[in-house]
Order: sequence, then structure tokens, then C-alpha cells
Amino acid sequence: MNQYPEVVTTIANDYLERVKSQLRLLPPLEQEDFLREIRSHLYEAYDRTPGDDDVVRILAVLKNFGEPAEVVSDRLPRAMVRSGTGRNLPLYILGGILIALFGLPLGFGGFGVLLGLLAALAGLLIAYYAVAGSLLLSGAVLTLFGLTRIVLPELWDKLVTLGFIRPGDFLEGLSPTDQGFLLILLATLFLAAGWGLLRLGKYLLRGLRFLFSLTFDWIRRFAQTIRRKLRNDRRKGRTSPLPNRQPANM
Amino acid sequence: MEYPDDSKDRRITQLRKGILELAVMGVLYHERHYGYSLVRVLTETGSMSIKEGTIYPILARLDRDGLVRSEWMESDQGPPRKYYTLTPLGRQAFNELSQEFDLLVSLAQQHWSQAKRKLVVRKAQSQ
Repeated sequence: MNQYPEVVTTIANDYLERVKSQLRLLPPLEQEDFLREIRSHLYEAYDRTPGDDDVVRILAVLKNFGEPAEVVSDRLPRAMVRSGTGRNLPLYILGGILIALFGLPLGFGGFGVLLGLLAALAGLLIAYYAVAGSLLLSGAVLTLFGLTRIVLPELWDKLVTLGFIRPGDFLEGLSPTDQGFLLILLATLFLAAGWGLLRLGKYLLRGLRFLFSLTFDWIRRFAQTIRRKLRNDRRKGRTSPLPNRQPANM
Repeated sequence: MEYPDDSKDRRITQLRKGILELAVMGVLYHERHYGYSLVRVLTETGSMSIKEGTIYPILARLDRDGLVRSEWMESDQGPPRKYYTLTPLGRQAFNELSQEFDLLVSLAQQHWSQAKRKLVVRKAQSQ
């Protein structure tokens, strides 16, 4: 499969990348299978396209194949439906409601409200990760302290005299090793909490990403409608002196 | 009233896509094919002008609904190919759909010829 000229593989891979970017919502295995199938098609079509110029041949193949959006058009709803059946469903519904409530009837005003809501959600997400991050950091620092207490008691004492660490009365009453273990135990709790938050954040992230893509999709469609309307108005303005004749189709 | 070009194109594409699914099922009824060979059969024997890539969303949809089965096979002429065959469910669906299609076509033709007749009469009256 690698006997193809470099320029051909580069162009084909570039096209496949564009297809892949449209397949983001699909499970990775399905993405891979689909890309493999398209790659197979492109190379076979290339082999059977006559011509001397490699670039012209592969470009002709891609032109016949169509735009990535056309090629994946029926793949995406499936991905949405599938991931929507799981835990993200409430978020999808929320997204739909948001767009229906604010986006459609209010036009640009609704667009602002929608963006504001999304910004708030994004802020929430950032705060969430900040909490997870600080938990992990605290855990790491506490582990370090605990290990210092057990392994390097002199350093610990020095840090205490320097005022970097101020152990409370409760900790002072314990033996150095117990102090260390207690610190490490606490650190483990922090680390576990941070890790848990990070894991759960994945779902939050996925849901928000979907909300964003839904919104931007809607904005794009909205812009397209306006553009089409403007274009039609302009065309109408130009041809208005002539009577518009409808082509006799069918 | 102006009939916008893009909506005309969209309608034609839509019409073609609807029929294409039936055509794909028809081709897969007796033979198994992979994407590229399927496109060749459709364009060469059926003279259907389509973008080759549009076959894949159709195959994906048929696969999702359990109407076709697919398997990867090595090829001695290049990269491996993904072959599709119609499942028994797919055959059943094809039989039903093609009957429906015949019905629709005859209905459309009936109205079409009526419309044509009226047009001829009107033209004759205006002359």
C-alpha cells in the first residue's frame, strides 16, 4: 500500500484528515474502520484513473469522491444518537431546550443570551478543573511533607523552625512516624478526590463540547440563511425589470 | 416567484439519494460488493451520476439498520476491501421498497401525463 508517490499519499492523507475531523463524535474504532474503507476506495480509484500526472490523478479521484461533509453526512446522527442514549442525554436535551428557547425566537438577542450561558458553563468547567487541580497539588505537597517527616526528620525540624510548616497541637502530640503516616494518608485522600474529579470531568467536558458544537452549528445555519436571503434579494433586485419565469421542470 | 437554484439542486440530490439506496440494495441482492465496485456498477450499468463518496453514508445507514452485513477481505490488487452483502432482512426490505417504488412511479407518471395534457389543451386554447 506504500508504493504510492509521496505527493499522492500527502494529498490523500490531508483529505482523510478532513474526513476525520468531521467524525469526532464517533467512537475511535468506528472512525478507524470508516477511514480505512475510504482510504481503500481512494487508492483503488487512483490506480484505475489513467494519466501521467500523479497530482492530477489523485485530485480527480477526490473530486469524484465528494466533500467530506457529504461523505460522513449519515454517520454523525448515529454518533449523536448513540452517545445520547447514555449519561449525556440530559445535557443534550438541555442544549436543545436552550437553543429552542433563546436561539430561535430571539435572533441576535437570543444568540447573545446563548453565548452568555455557554460562557457561564465554560466558567463552571474551569472552576471545576481548578478545584481538581488544587486537590491534586495539595495531595502532592502533603505527600512530600509526610515523606520528609519520616525520612528526613532534620529537614522537617528545620522547616518548622524557619516557619515554613506550622504543625498543629494535635500533630505535635504524635510520634514522628505517625505524623508522617497521617500526612500521607491525608495526601492520599486529596489525591483520590482530585483524580475522581478529573475522571468525572470527562463526562462534563463531553457534554459541554456537545452543547458548544450544537450552538455553533445552529449559528452557522443561521448565518447561512441570512446570507442566502441577502443573495436572493440582490439577485431579485438585479432581475426585477424582467418578468421572472419559472423553469418548466417536470 | 423565482425558483432558487440551490433548492432545486437540493431536491434533485434528495430524489437521487432516495433512489440510490434502493439501487444499492438491488445490486447487493445477488452479488457482494465493496464500496468502489458498487459505485462502478451503479455508474456504468445504471448510468447514475453520483459523487462516489455518497455511497458510504448509504451503506452506513443500511448497516446500522441491519440490512447489510460487511466484512474486510484482503485484496491482491491493493489495500484490503470491505465487502457488503444484503442480509435476509435486507432482501425483505428491498422487496417491499421496490413495490412501493413502482407504485410511486406509476402515481407520479399518471399525474405527470395529466398535467402535460392540460398544458397542451391550454396552449391550444390560447392560440
